[in-house]
Amino acid sequence: MKPREIVVISGKGGTGKTTLTASLAATSPRLAVFCDADVDAPDLEILLRPQSTGTCTFWGMQTATIHGSCCIGCGKCVEACRFRAIDMQQGKAHVETTFCEGCAACKLVCPNDCVEMVDTKQGEWFTGETAWGPLFHARLNPGGENSGKLVTILREEARKAAESLGRDLILVDGPPGIACPAISALSGADMALVVTEPTLSGQHDLKRIAGICDKFEVPVAVALNKADLSATGAEKIRETCKENGWLLAAEIPFMRQVVDRIAAAEIPTSEMADAVQCLWEVLIQAAEN
Amino acid sequence: MSGKPFVLAVASGKGGTGKSSVAASLLVTVDGLLGVDLDVEEPNLALLTGCEPVESSLVTLPVPVIDESLCTRCGTCVKECRFAALNMFGDNPPMVNDLCHGCGVCSMVCPVNAITETERPIGEIRKCLGDRDILEGRLTPGMPNPVPVIEAAMDAALARETNIVADCPPGTSCPMVAGVHRADAVVLVTEPTPFGIADLELALEVLSNLGKKGMVVINRSDLGGGDVHSMAKRFGMPVVAELPFSRHVAEAYADGRPPATADPDWRNAMKEIWSTLERNFSL
Repeated sequence: MKPREIVVISGKGGTGKTTLTASLAATSPRLAVFCDADVDAPDLEILLRPQSTGTCTFWGMQTATIHGSCCIGCGKCVEACRFRAIDMQQGKAHVETTFCEGCAACKLVCPNDCVEMVDTKQGEWFTGETAWGPLFHARLNPGGENSGKLVTILREEARKAAESLGRDLILVDGPPGIACPAISALSGADMALVVTEPTLSGQHDLKRIAGICDKFEVPVAVALNKADLSATGAEKIRETCKENGWLLAAEIPFMRQVVDRIAAAEIPTSEMADAVQCLWEVLIQAAEN
Repeated sequence: MSGKPFVLAVASGKGGTGKSSVAASLLVTVDGLLGVDLDVEEPNLALLTGCEPVESSLVTLPVPVIDESLCTRCGTCVKECRFAALNMFGDNPPMVNDLCHGCGVCSMVCPVNAITETERPIGEIRKCLGDRDILEGRLTPGMPNPVPVIEAAMDAALARETNIVADCPPGTSCPMVAGVHRADAVVLVTEPTPFGIADLELALEVLSNLGKKGMVVINRSDLGGGDVHSMAKRFGMPVVAELPFSRHVAEAYADGRPPATADPDWRNAMKEIWSTLERNFSL
């Protein structure tokens, strides 16, 4: 059987994706492979504590370099760049790599052929072995680009590992937001577990990310975390789920002990036991259908 | 204030540490600030300050339009596009997908000038009014690239010539850089958990690479027990406020009220942030 892939996602940051992913990882009823797709704030390894088994370089898009000795200072590249990545410094064009998106428009317009597109290391990705199975994770360079591409690599590697090891589940800790890394984490997944909280922001952000899941035809289950922090907020989340046909699979109260366990870099398995049991029943059933 | 408006960005590595709470609290504590929401994937600042949208303008990206009668199906544009945004099947002319960055390369390379450009909406800038004044960038769901919306929201804010508090996207990649790169100072909001500290380090590295000055606010300072101070010190950033967990604050946030309206500690912390800025930047 093709391995089933469940992506834990949230729209809003800080709702408890990583805590919940780790709690699910440590209690998985099936053999699984794990993947941390939050590549610019990767925290799953803090809880899963992998033994490193490998490191690979992540090459992002090529970026432009302009050879100063050859530049005649005509400014055509500055005009052609739509990302405000090139300016003139002492009569020579200069590329600010952080803003270069690698389109190569500058190279096309340069009359003196001074622009070179060079491979750029944008980060690293890692393989590791945890107590519960292999983990694929990464670290994008601070300020790095192409996080979506890195997410895609991690998911592909996790899938290959699951297939070769005969593990039938892939559990992905997703990024916040709704743009390129979130879309890269979700597309083609079998199930999205959206972690939310009983706040106005939580409700607003749930609608946007679960709307994206609907658009990509990924079935949605919702976990309402810190559910007791606001009775009216929790009620609004329940209504939102009902109106949109999203399955509210678990409600988890705010627990100080959970924070204390995270502070000790431990997985709050016993504190989360009830929620996790509920979620696994739903996730296994949904992923198999 | 003299000259150019002062821009304070509120950022974090980890999401959910309280960026919008700090930004909204600054807006209700310090008079005369314009709020700009650059967390365009999940904008929450207007919700949290009770502001309602009154006007909206589209943010667009120039995307190619291919004249089928002129196109010779040579495939040059498909080959030159570095974003895989053009696909060609069979005898059909190339089709544009959502990966288009609007760089204009395809129209530059087309040997028969079959490509012109049209403006595709990818988001909007909303003017929101209530007790406060907010410009909100909002990415259309399904669009992959938030950066043009972030830049457009900041352009619109800077045109207003008033001091700005910008609520930035989480993380440490291109959206976060787009959020902070035009700021005069940055407040990083963190929490003293292993997650908060690990992500704070990455965010501090970004600011240090960009040469940005700033300060750190520790939210839920009694939850987690980690040492934020030595991390901040390593990057030469002062810790300007420590705010313990409070159910009042959590409930206010849940209902869409800025924490500074619910908790005097928050109000004082915001005053401290602003007076530190006034001292250091002669506002």
